[in-house]
Amino acid sequence: MQATVRIRRFNPEQPANNGKFQEFKLDVPDSTTVLDALIKVREDVDGTLGVRCSCRASICGSCGMRVNGQAKLACKTKIADVSRHGEPITVEPMGNMPVVKDLITDMKVFWDKLRQVEPYLQPEGPAPKGEYIASDESMNHLVGVMNCIMCGACVSDCTVLAVDKNFIAPAALAKAYRFVADPRDSRTSQRLGVLNESGGVWDCVRCMYCVEVCPKGVAPMERIMKMRDLAMEAGYNNTPGARHTESFASSVKSDGLLNETKLAIDSTGIFNIPGQLAQAPVAVRALLRGKLPPLFGHKIKARKQIKRVFEKVEGQE
Amino acid sequence: MKYAWWPGCVARGATPELYMSTVAVLDKLGIEYEEMHDFSCTGAGVLQERNQKLGDTLNVRNFAIAEKLGLPIMTICSTCQGVMAQAHQRVLSNAGYLKEINQVLAEEGLEYRGTTVIKHLLWILVEELGVEGLKKHFTRDLSCLSVAPFYGCYLIRPSNALGLDKVPIRETSLEKVIEATGARVIDFAGKKACCGFPILLINQENSLKMVASHTGTAKDGGADAMVTPCPLCHLNLDGYQSKAAKKNRPDGHIDLPIIHLPQLVGLAMGIEPRMLGFQKHIVSAKDLLETYRAKAGAIAR
Amino acid sequence: MFEHDVLIIGAGLAGMRAAVEAVNRGANAAVITKVHPVRSHSNAAQGGINAALTDRGDDWTDHALETVRGSDYLADQDAVEVMCSEAGAALIELEHMGVVFSRDEHGKLGTRRFGGQKAARTFFVGAITGQAILHVLYEQLIKANVRVYEEWFVTSLIVEDGVCRGAVTLDIRTGELHTIRAKAVINCAGGAGRVYEPSTNALICTGDGYALAYRAGAPLMDMEMVQYHPTTLASNGVLISEAARGEGGYLLNSKGDRFMLRYAPEYKELASRDVVSRSEQTEINEGRGIDGTVLLDVRHLGRKVVEEKLGYLQEVAHDFMGIDLAEQPIPVRPGMHYMMGGIKTDINGATSVPGLYAAGEVANVSVHGGNRLGANSLLDTVVFGRRSALAAIEYGKSAGAGSRNEDLLASEKKRIQALLDRPKGLRSASVRRELAETMHSHVAVFRDQQGMERAAAKVKELKRAYGKVAVDDKGKVFNTDLIFALELRNVIDTAEAICASALTRKESRGAHYRVDMKKRDDANWLKHILVRQSAADGDPKIDTAPVTITRWQPVERKY
Repeated sequence: MQATVRIRRFNPEQPANNGKFQEFKLDVPDSTTVLDALIKVREDVDGTLGVRCSCRASICGSCGMRVNGQAKLACKTKIADVSRHGEPITVEPMGNMPVVKDLITDMKVFWDKLRQVEPYLQPEGPAPKGEYIASDESMNHLVGVMNCIMCGACVSDCTVLAVDKNFIAPAALAKAYRFVADPRDSRTSQRLGVLNESGGVWDCVRCMYCVEVCPKGVAPMERIMKMRDLAMEAGYNNTPGARHTESFASSVKSDGLLNETKLAIDSTGIFNIPGQLAQAPVAVRALLRGKLPPLFGHKIKARKQIKRVFEKVEGQE
Repeated sequence: MKYAWWPGCVARGATPELYMSTVAVLDKLGIEYEEMHDFSCTGAGVLQERNQKLGDTLNVRNFAIAEKLGLPIMTICSTCQGVMAQAHQRVLSNAGYLKEINQVLAEEGLEYRGTTVIKHLLWILVEELGVEGLKKHFTRDLSCLSVAPFYGCYLIRPSNALGLDKVPIRETSLEKVIEATGARVIDFAGKKACCGFPILLINQENSLKMVASHTGTAKDGGADAMVTPCPLCHLNLDGYQSKAAKKNRPDGHIDLPIIHLPQLVGLAMGIEPRMLGFQKHIVSAKDLLETYRAKAGAIAR
Repeated sequence: MFEHDVLIIGAGLAGMRAAVEAVNRGANAAVITKVHPVRSHSNAAQGGINAALTDRGDDWTDHALETVRGSDYLADQDAVEVMCSEAGAALIELEHMGVVFSRDEHGKLGTRRFGGQKAARTFFVGAITGQAILHVLYEQLIKANVRVYEEWFVTSLIVEDGVCRGAVTLDIRTGELHTIRAKAVINCAGGAGRVYEPSTNALICTGDGYALAYRAGAPLMDMEMVQYHPTTLASNGVLISEAARGEGGYLLNSKGDRFMLRYAPEYKELASRDVVSRSEQTEINEGRGIDGTVLLDVRHLGRKVVEEKLGYLQEVAHDFMGIDLAEQPIPVRPGMHYMMGGIKTDINGATSVPGLYAAGEVANVSVHGGNRLGANSLLDTVVFGRRSALAAIEYGKSAGAGSRNEDLLASEKKRIQALLDRPKGLRSASVRRELAETMHSHVAVFRDQQGMERAAAKVKELKRAYGKVAVDDKGKVFNTDLIFALELRNVIDTAEAICASALTRKESRGAHYRVDMKKRDDANWLKHILVRQSAADGDPKIDTAPVTITRWQPVERKY
């Protein structure tokens, strides 16, 4: 089949073409991947093309890049799947990272954030003579997170990192979860405490980009959500995020519905006067247009049923 | 085709204009619906982060109620759609899990067998009516307007839970509706990104940066309005736009009207703007309507 | 100029294990790697790591015997004893570092069976054992704060008066050349899959380590022992782990027969890899293959086992072949996978060049002899990575200072500039492809005199042609075109050593199977073959060395 690949070029030594797309038309087998095409360009057409790649088998994590605007692993992306009717595909470097050359980015931000979460096992006391005892279930659970090949796709497309460089970002947070969930690690509570702070688990906006783009099914967002839950269970309850979640849950439990006004007040913190005052202008504008839900709001008739479901399911744990 | 309509919490709370415009559009299109007063909040992903099984149980309860009535569910909120779709995917792929949930629901006289279909109004318009079928109902030509689409995360990710791989038209459904009205589509980088609503009350600075980025980029790209199928996105993009602009734009302004999907459709169908609730927006849609009036003839107020 | 006590080339399992050991012992050690550590090809190892845990009643001498048998008696038995007796401790050490090994019902480390072994003593993490261990070693690297020259390429080793004193290196990001002086260098640069086409190996496996040592005067041993893995994808050479067979999978020919029952009645699909590869190739050559492949069938294991134990294989099968392993068998064929041959070292990683050590796939202690057992490579890397670090540190204490001249740096700059300046010429990729396809045709599963001579001649021709290779990219920043041209030289040198060694061994043993000399000839050939570069870029010089035999007298190897 004929494949048309448009690659965004960047060369600090030849800035005239920086940011411009260069088009390559290639004759390739039907099952060709984006990486196959890039290697063909590099080997046969233009040896100046910069692209990191190694294993071709989605295990080394080198070839993360944006294909048609979304981060992907090039060796795992079939051209036929992203170009259903032979239309050109665009290939660009990953986002949220500076570009070094063509499709090669500087992944320093990725590795620095990884270091931030102390990504090594910290068991307590002297090591046993043999192995630590741990259930197969617990180890299998961790394999899901260990599947991360550190390709950077999640960090590339993270919508929070795009506006806030302080966010620890999905890959490092998923790695943090790997230790939080490891029965052999002794610093669970301290780790959760740090992750509960600025830039940590509560800064995730739940946009699911990291879940969508991860080529290995690691689902970083789900790990972040789990750590929110674990943080609350460990007693870290005094954050806007924890209050937000609690308020939401209690609203649904009692009314069957969300009460936006109550949610806004609770999340900010009832005694947080400056915070409450800061919300006033928006609240007033909403009130004037008849869109401020009453504090003691709408309830569904079946709310007793909802309450019973809450009690039953929560009681099961 | 009759639908079990779930307006969601916010349509009857902070975005009543969504409720109004939906009713107006459904009635004029002749789509039959029954409002589900017994449905609970879907949990919006927030409840799920505290207890996924609890969230799933509440949603399966909703599915079971609709199944009993033999009706497919219609949502008008990207978040409701996404949360329900994810719950549905989880229970349909794990018979044991569904069984456990049904055990809880049995006490309420409910059982879910797995047959309910759940569709957002946007998909219903594009898939059931089709673009050509939709056009037949349009009496106003909106070709003088430029509209930017904003999907809302939950309507497009994760793609397999939402059937985007099986029904590819969903990926461009919002653009298709805009085009059908005759309006020009303003494509911009953030159309599939996050509006920031989930962290509005947690990290407002970041939330506002997102609002400013998306509405600002669309406005700079020539948009007269932004249309969204999610009331939570609307709350943030509309309600907090001026605060976001003050903090993030050099001139402190964006002034991009944010409209709900049924408002766009209703406008094209000739429904009175007042019936579509435009007057309830925080960022005024007055200029938008006046632009239209100036270019395309009178609109009754 | 940079200076360290120990410079480790390569950040795979061997390199990082050596680095962590060295730094934890207080040495000023640094790692130089041409890719980020987690991109090292160790991450592609799938099936597991062998160890005999004596406190479970397993017997390391049994593991050692099977290793020696698997090697077709070419392994040095003292080295095998070291590796197998230390395996238990090495494994527990990895678990303590945090590797998420699979467990049995008591929460203790769980095992699976692997090729060439009766007992199940292969410890694993799904089908991603290599990656799982590599990432944990990277975590330890972070913890120990090891200095890493990331995306730096070694162009040459510095050897002065016959002593290794460091390396000349290229910073790929900036294109600048630097001298890194070290009291000791540990060469952990990995394998040479790119010498063959197809291969399971990554694009980065260009034999850099063999070539650097070869050009520095260190002998390469048993280079003809090239392992063809029995189960690789026909479409792109990607590996399908032995774990599939270890969990109970079958190999079937076009008639649906489990042909391994004929070739290896006792070990069946878990005979040694060279035996299985030859069996498959024979089936294919005799018309019982399917388009040049045989079938690997794991359907009978059930979906749960396939998903839990062989998850990554499912991903590979789905992505590259559209196959669901739980529902369909997958076509596979032998593919080049591993180099048993390598830089000759003693049991502490020392080569014959003082100051130069080697560990991991690039080294040949020899623990694998003529054929490596599956899951012994991961073990090899950590045991000898650690040992070489200790030996290198000890050596460094009395190594004395070398000179501080930059002569080699200057000549390397010239050489590289000449390459860059060449206006037009041969493309590296096509030269490599020609060489690699030739090697696959003539120095693979079945060999003969004429074929090997043809290969050697082609290598010689391409070695001369190397002087005509030119690059498109003349820049300094991340010039991968230049790197490929430099790697090509390493590929050619490695191929030269393989061909010279293959032509020398006049018998069949392990992976070196000659259809014109089918028998193993212990009387004349129970010895190692050494290849050395006679003068800079001169012809290879051949030598031999005896095989160390401690407990097990060589007998015929039957599976």
